[in-house]
Amino acid sequence: MSAGTLAAPRQSGWAWLLPAIGLTLLLSALHLSTGARPTPLPVLFDALTTFDPADFDQRILLSLRLPRLCAALLSGAAIGLAGLLLQSLLRNPLAEPHILGFNAGASLAVVIATALPVALQPVGLARPLLAALGGALVFSAVFALSSAGRLGLTMAKLTFCGIALSALASALVSAILILDQETLEAVRFWLVGDLAGAAWREVNAALAPTALAASATLMIAPRLDAMALGDASATGLGVPVRTTRLIGLGAAALLSGVAVSTVGPIGFVGLIVPGLAFRLAGGRHLPALALSAIGGATLLVAADLVARSLIASHEIATGIMTALVGAPVFLAIVARRVK
Amino acid sequence: MMAAAYRRFRLGPVSLRVNARRTALCIALALLLVALAFAALATGSGEAGLADALAFLTRPVETGHSTVGDLRAPRVAMALACGAMLGLSGAALQTLTRNGLADPGLLGVREGASLAVITLMLSSPSAPLLLRPFAGMAGGLIVALVAMVIARSLARLRFILVGIGLSWFLSAVISMILITADIDSVQAAMVWMAGSLSGTQPDMLPPAFACLFVGSSLLVLTMRAAEISLLGETAAIGLGMRVVRFRMTAIAASVLMTAAAVSCAGSLGFVGLLAPHLSRFLVGGGQAALLAGSAILGAGLVLIADTIGRTLFAPVQIPAGIVLSVLGVVLLAVLLWQRRNQI
Repeated sequence: MSAGTLAAPRQSGWAWLLPAIGLTLLLSALHLSTGARPTPLPVLFDALTTFDPADFDQRILLSLRLPRLCAALLSGAAIGLAGLLLQSLLRNPLAEPHILGFNAGASLAVVIATALPVALQPVGLARPLLAALGGALVFSAVFALSSAGRLGLTMAKLTFCGIALSALASALVSAILILDQETLEAVRFWLVGDLAGAAWREVNAALAPTALAASATLMIAPRLDAMALGDASATGLGVPVRTTRLIGLGAAALLSGVAVSTVGPIGFVGLIVPGLAFRLAGGRHLPALALSAIGGATLLVAADLVARSLIASHEIATGIMTALVGAPVFLAIVARRVK
Repeated sequence: MMAAAYRRFRLGPVSLRVNARRTALCIALALLLVALAFAALATGSGEAGLADALAFLTRPVETGHSTVGDLRAPRVAMALACGAMLGLSGAALQTLTRNGLADPGLLGVREGASLAVITLMLSSPSAPLLLRPFAGMAGGLIVALVAMVIARSLARLRFILVGIGLSWFLSAVISMILITADIDSVQAAMVWMAGSLSGTQPDMLPPAFACLFVGSSLLVLTMRAAEISLLGETAAIGLGMRVVRFRMTAIAASVLMTAAAVSCAGSLGFVGLLAPHLSRFLVGGGQAALLAGSAILGAGLVLIADTIGRTLFAPVQIPAGIVLSVLGVVLLAVLLWQRRNQI
């Protein structure tokens, strides 16, 4: 093996980064300027440099569209990272927070909390934390159930367990919503993954946990390359397999929790992006993680853009758009990879 | 040993081998089902009780217009028909795919039928109710065909995963339709989708029972082929079975019954998964016992779920589909646990 063959994929891995960032910027600009009241981009520059509270256009941009864009970028990047982490750690192309029951658990937790008497309802930061906690609980149950048996975590078992526990959680959610009309009104849009309510408060709250999880991910990124060779080889190469897996799964849960609490249960982004990013990065984890984060952000912004502008008078929830694209990707992976 | 348990019945040119113990078990289960149906007629949030139920059964013409006759009887009958149809179609699908995890709900057939019915409900609210089963059937059949084309094989796990992917896609389409529609029709559609029998119309009973009759006859006619197909595709072809014809018949029968049940009562999940497994556990035996047991137990499950749903939190009604999901997931977890070394 010469140095040239080793260097080539590394270069091509990072080479996709610039076009990806360019695409993100382009879509973000488009996202900011489209809407019920089209705003030209110069207004954004004015708003950022010389903010004039009396200008209606500038206020729309800064208090409605910019937080929504930031929420989409942040959550998209978080889901992209979480998806790649899960797929690498579990060696399973179908591993994705939504499929593994995270979103259903988060929905159940939020719906239960909303149905409680007013005095007990979570305020402010408690709701995102609760969503993350509910998701993580179902997530761990799925892992525990599907790790049983001689073959360990297989693709089919993981998918089935995820689906079974998601079905249970969604049945309970429907039961609560049918019994309690007020809760239905309160969470109807959040449940399908809607960015319309995103505000600065949520984005700010999400920053710290995202940074923490992202740095943990960066720390274990080099070890992931070795772990792709199999647990035995990785142990032979001196990688602490168990610790790495624990850190990685913890980071993935935290990232999914951040995403769920900021933009609601949005599925399938983590299925579409990481596989593509991994291939474009030439099978290396560090560039793949960067590409996956950027790709997730781009996809979520694009989905939100389409959801807002497809039917002018109605806003289709973003989660529905990602499911429309993601389910065919799931089908393609299953048709090719499952026996 | 085994042969001793069978008795031979002869009726003109037809002769049947019948297992005495299993037949007795099935008859006992059927009697239990009748008792349950009677109990369901006599309970509810209204005034009507045991005496009214008895009066309705003995003099149906005079007492036709009462709580029992107008409200409970059609509902109980619909629960029985839908449950039997779903149980039968689950049994047929599990035999066909040779996979105990197959369920009409997991294969996307349910979502396909739901999508067709919802489109019909929202696009032309004045369309006659009788059109719904046909719309549902068309939708379900198309989805089943697409799943077969993508998976290329029925007997593999891939078929089920493909069905799951399709059902996700279709439910996204359904949510998109529901979000863009106005809130009044959405609430009705949501109750319908959650699998509620509360809106049962007496007009829907004849088509439901007709579908049950056609579907179960098809399955009974292909019973022996089904038994052989369990040996695997190669063995079945080697034994001279027309595999493709059998598969098409069985799939048509189960899609017909699933779509009819969905259009009459909405999404009643997991009956098709629960009933055949319960039947294997309680009755055992070959295809004949499986079909009979699944039909009876499926009807019983839906009846119990619906009765619990309408009495537990009365006057608020929990759709039977939700009660069934909770029961079904527990069973699915047990099944996965049993197969933990295989999949």
